[in-house]
Amino acid sequence: MSRGRAAGRQCRVARFFDSDAGERLLIDLENVSVELGGQTVLEDITFRLREGMFLGVIGPNGAGKTTLLRVILGIVKPRSGTVCVMGMQPGELRHELHHIGYVPQNVLFDPVFPVSVYDVVMMGRTCCIGRFRFARREDREAEIESIRVVGLEGLEKRLIGELSGGQQKRAFLARALCRETRILLLDEPTSGLDIPAQNAFMDLLTGLKEDLGLSVVFVSHDVNVLAQHADEMACINRSMHLHGKPGDVIGSARLQEAYRCEFDFLVGSPAHHPKREGG
Amino acid sequence: MLSYSFGRTALVGGVLIAVACSFMSFFIIVRRLAFAGMGISHAAFGGVAIGIATGVNPILTAGAFCVLVAGGIGWFSRKGKLHEDTIIGILFSAAMALGVVLIAAAHAYNQDLLSYLFGSILAVSWTDVAILAVMSFLAVGFMVVFFKELLFFTFDEETATASGVPVRFVYYGLLVTIALTIVVAIKLVGIILVSALIVIPGAIGLQLSRGYRHAIALSVASGIASVVVGLQLSFRFDVASGATIVLVMFALFLASVALSPRRRYVQRLRARLERSGTGGG
Repeated sequence: MSRGRAAGRQCRVARFFDSDAGERLLIDLENVSVELGGQTVLEDITFRLREGMFLGVIGPNGAGKTTLLRVILGIVKPRSGTVCVMGMQPGELRHELHHIGYVPQNVLFDPVFPVSVYDVVMMGRTCCIGRFRFARREDREAEIESIRVVGLEGLEKRLIGELSGGQQKRAFLARALCRETRILLLDEPTSGLDIPAQNAFMDLLTGLKEDLGLSVVFVSHDVNVLAQHADEMACINRSMHLHGKPGDVIGSARLQEAYRCEFDFLVGSPAHHPKREGG
Repeated sequence: MLSYSFGRTALVGGVLIAVACSFMSFFIIVRRLAFAGMGISHAAFGGVAIGIATGVNPILTAGAFCVLVAGGIGWFSRKGKLHEDTIIGILFSAAMALGVVLIAAAHAYNQDLLSYLFGSILAVSWTDVAILAVMSFLAVGFMVVFFKELLFFTFDEETATASGVPVRFVYYGLLVTIALTIVVAIKLVGIILVSALIVIPGAIGLQLSRGYRHAIALSVASGIASVVVGLQLSFRFDVASGATIVLVMFALFLASVALSPRRRYVQRLRARLERSGTGGG
């Protein structure tokens, strides 16, 4: 990668964030349809992520939520429609992926895989360090800062497989933040966690969003988790069923249609899922 | 042993190939490519047979054939049409069957073929050592240059892809490196035993260490130690060098399991002895 081209791209991202065009759209999907293995996985999806927004994407299992994130990341090419992330097409985006942090749904690794929390978080810097180079002092500083903000100080040298589920999720969040993150994409990050660990993770995430000025796309099948924290919610089940404020989405009869089951069953009564204080 | 020219070439060649195989062994174990390594090494028999039947240098034909098989394993498994172990099982048995048919057709069951099956490190020339040095340098160079990408890819392919790591290049690069290293390692221990060289050192390193740096260092150290001790023993007792190297490696593996901090056999044994000592006193 030549210095000139890198500088040119840097200018492009900087121009996007420095522009005074009013409300900036970090993600702009227009009528996106995706076909995988001959089957339509997403159909005619349109949604936008404004800067600083926390967008919760809900939908039942197999609704295409993960595919949606993969479309945003440029891993999956849509059959039709347009994808624009930070003002760039997917082809241009592959050089700017260090502005996007991604926390996958499940990392299926061997529990004795010989990498520490330090090593895992440093993986997040891979795209910043560049090819044919080794980590420098600034990379180590970014790594230490990321570990600090997610509250894993003191556990840096532990093997990743030795951590609890909640701590592992924090480590993967630190890895997603250990770069020049503007957009954070999270795929079911609270799945497999008990209620206190879920709450702790969500509190951490909303705090980081404010402190670091992040824009968040949070995918989950758990309506209740997102209803408490998201600025806007979108409900998909292959196609877009709903998009709006959490109260509007939860109150809509179309939510039942998307999940193909009773609403009470999903969200539960307040007695079962109490709204958290200050939440 | 070092007073003989063939002993010196064997030692230098053996150490060179041990370094490359042992370094690679770490990635083979953590990426669970042990069966792929075994499949590629056995497929080399087909390549060697093509060389013997056509009169071309068998190492060249085996190299080309192994790269093709490695590419086939990668392509089929990434396309997701077949499981990795299924396609490995199919390709390596087909390649060996091809080898048997070609060897039978060419009436070439001879000493030369046996040297490819069981290795002949004591017949290694300085030209062979130069080829081994180049191959080891290329293999280790690939793994050093793309180390952080390889580590990221082996740990979490999904996020590595999302981070712009060229996972396809890294995956195929690793498979091709495995194939080429196996081909040159055939000189050392032969087709039948070469998979030991690319599996056991990594397993030893992972038994004894927690971090990947120590695991790789111990893997390379155990590989070199096995070659040096194995050659020395085979020279002293006049037994097959390749098999002796593998047996030394296996002994080191058993020792690593016994000493592994994960299993704590030694600590438990010591505690039991102390308890029995206290009880008896």
